[in-house]
Amino acid sequence: MSAIFHNVSLAWYFAWSDMRARYKRSVLGPFWLVLGTGIGVVGLGLVWSVLLNTERSEFIPALTVGLVLWQAISGAITGSTTVFARSASVIKNIKTPSWRISLELVFQQTVNLIHNFVVIVFVLLVYPQDIGFAALLVIPGLVLVFMNIFWIAQVLGFVGARYRDFDPLVSALMPILFFLSPVLYQSRQLGSLDVISKLNPIAYWIEIVRNPLLGSVPALSDYLVVVAMTIAGFLLATWMTRARGHRLPYWI
Amino acid sequence: MSRISLRNVTVDYPIYNSRSMSLRNNLIAIGTGGRISKETRGIVSVTALDDITLELEHGDRVGLAGHNGSGKSTLLRTMAGVFRPVKGQIHVEGRVSTVFGLGAGLVPELSGYENIVRMAMMLGSTRSEAEAIIEDVERFSELGNFLSVPVSTYSDGMRTRLSFGVATAAHPDILLVDEVFGAGDAEFQKRAERRMEEFIEKSSIFVLASHNSQLLERFCNRSIRLEHGKIIESEETA
Ligand SMILES: Nc1ncnc2c1ncn2[C@@H]1O[C@H](COP(=O)(O)OP(=O)(O)OP(=O)(O)O)[C@@H](O)[C@H]1O
Ligand SMILES: [Mg+2]
Repeated sequence: MSAIFHNVSLAWYFAWSDMRARYKRSVLGPFWLVLGTGIGVVGLGLVWSVLLNTERSEFIPALTVGLVLWQAISGAITGSTTVFARSASVIKNIKTPSWRISLELVFQQTVNLIHNFVVIVFVLLVYPQDIGFAALLVIPGLVLVFMNIFWIAQVLGFVGARYRDFDPLVSALMPILFFLSPVLYQSRQLGSLDVISKLNPIAYWIEIVRNPLLGSVPALSDYLVVVAMTIAGFLLATWMTRARGHRLPYWI
Repeated sequence: MSRISLRNVTVDYPIYNSRSMSLRNNLIAIGTGGRISKETRGIVSVTALDDITLELEHGDRVGLAGHNGSGKSTLLRTMAGVFRPVKGQIHVEGRVSTVFGLGAGLVPELSGYENIVRMAMMLGSTRSEAEAIIEDVERFSELGNFLSVPVSTYSDGMRTRLSFGVATAAHPDILLVDEVFGAGDAEFQKRAERRMEEFIEKSSIFVLASHNSQLLERFCNRSIRLEHGKIIESEETA
């Protein structure tokens, strides 16, 4: 138990120190990230609100939350396929539980999201939403999303370490996944195509974080699906790590 | 009390080629009921350690010798728990610290100080323990102001000083060292030797792999010679 706690705090510390390393010689540092998200929101917001013919005051807040979440999710997914290979020198030289390496990737995305929250707050000030205490549901929502990102990073990390074709495959699938996820639109706008969002796990994650921030309470069924996904995912990741974890140093 | 015990340990390295590494061939293999699998998936493996049985106890200072590719590094990594043997059992008691390769785990963009804390935490210290050893590493490495600049500006020898300083500062019970003094200058080698002596006095187990027979003689009271992954010679020296 204390070993788990030790490794979690290590992953958290390393995620922050990686952030420092990445922006060591830049003046704006992590605020490049915030700036990038801001520019994305303005650009996509102006163009797509016209294309989709929707009200900006409604479209831009939804887009902002969706985009910030998408960045965390896609960053974790694309990073996970090479996460172990990038830490090869550590894995091959120091006894390291593999899940600490993938947790570090998840925490890096958490750190990014914390920064990007500035953009969300800013947009919500410009386009105020009718939010009350239900907004607090964003916290369990985010916790669930990051737990899911964690098991996915671990599982994809293993597959990517063993099969080198997996990384380009996942990269090739990401753009289509973006359009299948309700970032630029909301699931209820899909109409007869609703089945897309019923089958896409990412759609549920976005719902349970975005709805509270826009003033509505997510459906109980959405929570149930996400909780079930979390449990199944953790079982899968644990089984995989138990069964194949010791082979990792040989693969990378 | 620290102890390392290996019983009939065999370690194989699988050699994955692009075919066995690729998803397509594995999918084809599944799709064809594994018929093609023999040709496409044939994974060859190199036996790096072959049926090694070894007991190391408190006070053992072991020198590992042997040709290039005889299995010294593999044996050290197996003791460190990085590789799990395909056959046999390994049992290790005590806190292990390792100095393998130059700067494994160093982040070049971060300063020496930040890397000290990171490395120590990776080797099992808590944050506060890691910060407590900074002074000791500062004194030992004599890197002075260089500790404040990114590690990417360090020479090989300077990296060695840093890694070696951290690995020995954390007061491990077991220290495993793989051939790292090469890059250090004469003065550093002397200090590293003194530090190893200090460490050895503080007891426990020390294993050093090296091609330098003087070094092995000087620090070790047991010598083990490997060849093709087998122990061909094991004796007590003074
Ligand atoms: N990553 C690897 N993949 C495949 N084979 C490997 C790998 N690392 C080592 N080997 C093989 O395992 C055997 C033992 O290697 P090892 O590195 O343990 O030797 P060594 O005694 O440390 O050699 P040196 O004196 O050159 O450092 C060699 O035959 C080598 O070819
Ligand atoms: Mg070697």
